[in-house]
Amino acid sequence: MQKENVKNELDSDVVIKVEGLHKKFCRNLRRSMFYGCLDVTRDMFGISRDRGKLRRDEFFALENVSFEVKKGEAFGIIGQNGSGKTTLLRIINGIFPPDRGKISVRGRIGALIAVGAGFHPHMTGRENIYLNGTILGMTKKEINDKFREIIDFADIGEFIDAPVSTYSSGMTVRLGFAIAIHSNSEILLADEVLAVGDLNFALKCYRKIAEYRGKGGAIILISHNMHMIRHLCQKVVWIQNGKMINTGDVLEMCNKYEEVSLNKDYEENNISDNAKILNFDDSFKISSVDFLDSKDSKTNKFISGEPLKIRINFQSKRSINNPIFSISLLDSEGNIIFESYSKIGEIGSLLSEGTVEFLTEKLSIRPNIYDCSISLAEGELLNKIEWHERAYKVVFDNKNNLEINQGIIFPYPQWILKNKIK
Amino acid sequence: MSLNTEKEIIVYQPNSRQKTGFLKSLFLMAKNIKNSRELIWQLFVRDFLAAYKKSFLGIGWIILAPIFGIVSWVFMNYAGVLKPGDVGIPYPAYILLGTSFWGLFMGFYTSAAETLNTGQGFIMQVKYPHEALLAKQILQQLANFLASFIVIMLVLLSFKVIPSWQILILPILILPMLFLGAGIGLLVSVIGVVANEIRRIMDIALGTLIFFTPIIYSSDSTGGMIAKIIKINPLTYIIGGVRDAITYGKIENLSYFIWSGIGSFIFFLFAWRLFYVSEEKVIEKMI
Repeated sequence: MQKENVKNELDSDVVIKVEGLHKKFCRNLRRSMFYGCLDVTRDMFGISRDRGKLRRDEFFALENVSFEVKKGEAFGIIGQNGSGKTTLLRIINGIFPPDRGKISVRGRIGALIAVGAGFHPHMTGRENIYLNGTILGMTKKEINDKFREIIDFADIGEFIDAPVSTYSSGMTVRLGFAIAIHSNSEILLADEVLAVGDLNFALKCYRKIAEYRGKGGAIILISHNMHMIRHLCQKVVWIQNGKMINTGDVLEMCNKYEEVSLNKDYEENNISDNAKILNFDDSFKISSVDFLDSKDSKTNKFISGEPLKIRINFQSKRSINNPIFSISLLDSEGNIIFESYSKIGEIGSLLSEGTVEFLTEKLSIRPNIYDCSISLAEGELLNKIEWHERAYKVVFDNKNNLEINQGIIFPYPQWILKNKIK
Repeated sequence: MSLNTEKEIIVYQPNSRQKTGFLKSLFLMAKNIKNSRELIWQLFVRDFLAAYKKSFLGIGWIILAPIFGIVSWVFMNYAGVLKPGDVGIPYPAYILLGTSFWGLFMGFYTSAAETLNTGQGFIMQVKYPHEALLAKQILQQLANFLASFIVIMLVLLSFKVIPSWQILILPILILPMLFLGAGIGLLVSVIGVVANEIRRIMDIALGTLIFFTPIIYSSDSTGGMIAKIIKINPLTYIIGGVRDAITYGKIENLSYFIWSGIGSFIFFLFAWRLFYVSEEKVIEKMI
């Protein structure tokens, strides 16, 4: 790496600039090792080659990625698993060299991904603070200055003077995090983890990071937690299969990302793979189920906060008196979001052919893919005639931008402050 | 945490290490080692104490290993099977000194060959100059040697062998050993990531060289092909010469010693340069 003190290379408020970054790997292990031998041999004789070209079995894990991070900014990297996010972080951190393009970094980088790096189990917590702190780039003076703070933050009591091998995994991680977060850097890199430990400690971590941001520190965060990204970051880069889809404002990018992610599992006929369809009475059949939006068009994509109509088409050889229909919506973990039963007498008897419609005016639920179960019982709930268990997929997105955050529903909140006047 | 425009900017580009000039890269690494003194010390303390803290015999083994090492040679000599020729001092003393220097050379090689492996665990997460690892390895090897050398001197004195004054310049005399051993080790360290067999092949090849170096026997006692190999083997001068200096007070073929020394130093510089250029490329294969 070269060090340059060139002011006009980087705008004064930019701390990281990635330009046209490409990074390649080889998908075949033997060939990868062979290329490694070839590269080392070339290096021995001073022969350089264009690393930007792909050889057989090589592929670009990152292709043409460009973005800027400004001083004090919180910058998110989003994308599906395997899209190249961690590789990108490692290149910014200076661990992997780029194969094409350029990365400029101004300031010291601290990595929250290096929690507990180099810890020696036979050394005490105290000794490991010096070891780990030095590995993370702190000078002895810096460690001495922050020593008390680190010990207080880690909060492991007398164990600080015991060998790390006697620590629980929680204590090790708390100590490692305490050191990493005090490492005096101007740019912090975090891969999924911004906080560790129990609730109390996690809150301490968040407060510390807020303090760090308040002092003008920049953060680059990889996360799948859109809530975290929306709340912490101002800008985001979206990486998919190594390619940069876009970079820009966090809300816009997160919404687009969620929309596409949900679309990926979108099934045209919205029949779920795990559907279990049971029928206990030959004379009755639910012939089809339609999902309709506010314009009465068939779809399985809905907007959170808007109406959902479910139309059950049936055929029956006998009339069914006292029918009880049920509809329930479940998430991917099987948690029931809602369950609704038609009351006895509410819809009347079922004759030879017809439809039953279920309507909810405003379903303000979290954007996600849900399973829908439908059943028909006669007379009493347990006397099932037909049961479609988790048979239909419905997708909700958030075009109305409801702030659902960590929850499942949007409460249409109102907040009112009344100060006592003395 | 003030960020001003004068702050150093680091730029990462493809082949940037390769584009750095030969001498500049060596100076850069030397500067990095100087700047990471604290890291080197911390890692050294961590790994050196690891052997010490683990068992009572821990550090004792480092001291006693050379003595156990010569048992088979001494036995063969005593049984009349091994005829080392006239070495001028009691044979056990001769071989103890010789093998301890041989061990030092092999130690420089082995510890340098482990350079990248020793950083495993945090080499992927944290950026730091990896030449610090080499410095730590060398330091560790020297510390081990120092511990055992004191014992060896005591054993020598018990055989009534008085080391010559050259023992005072021993740190300079072992430099060629360090350069050659560490140089080979650095090459193996880098190539070994992408070609695992290289390490094993080199271990065996170097281990065999002890039979072509006058360590177990004196150089006068052989003839024919072996004598020819001994003459051209740089280790004869780099290792054997140091042993002779301590034992007899002079180095036979001093000019060969000096040339071998210079050759080792130049070799080391090239090996170190290769480490600089290649290590970042092989590290990603270590995943």
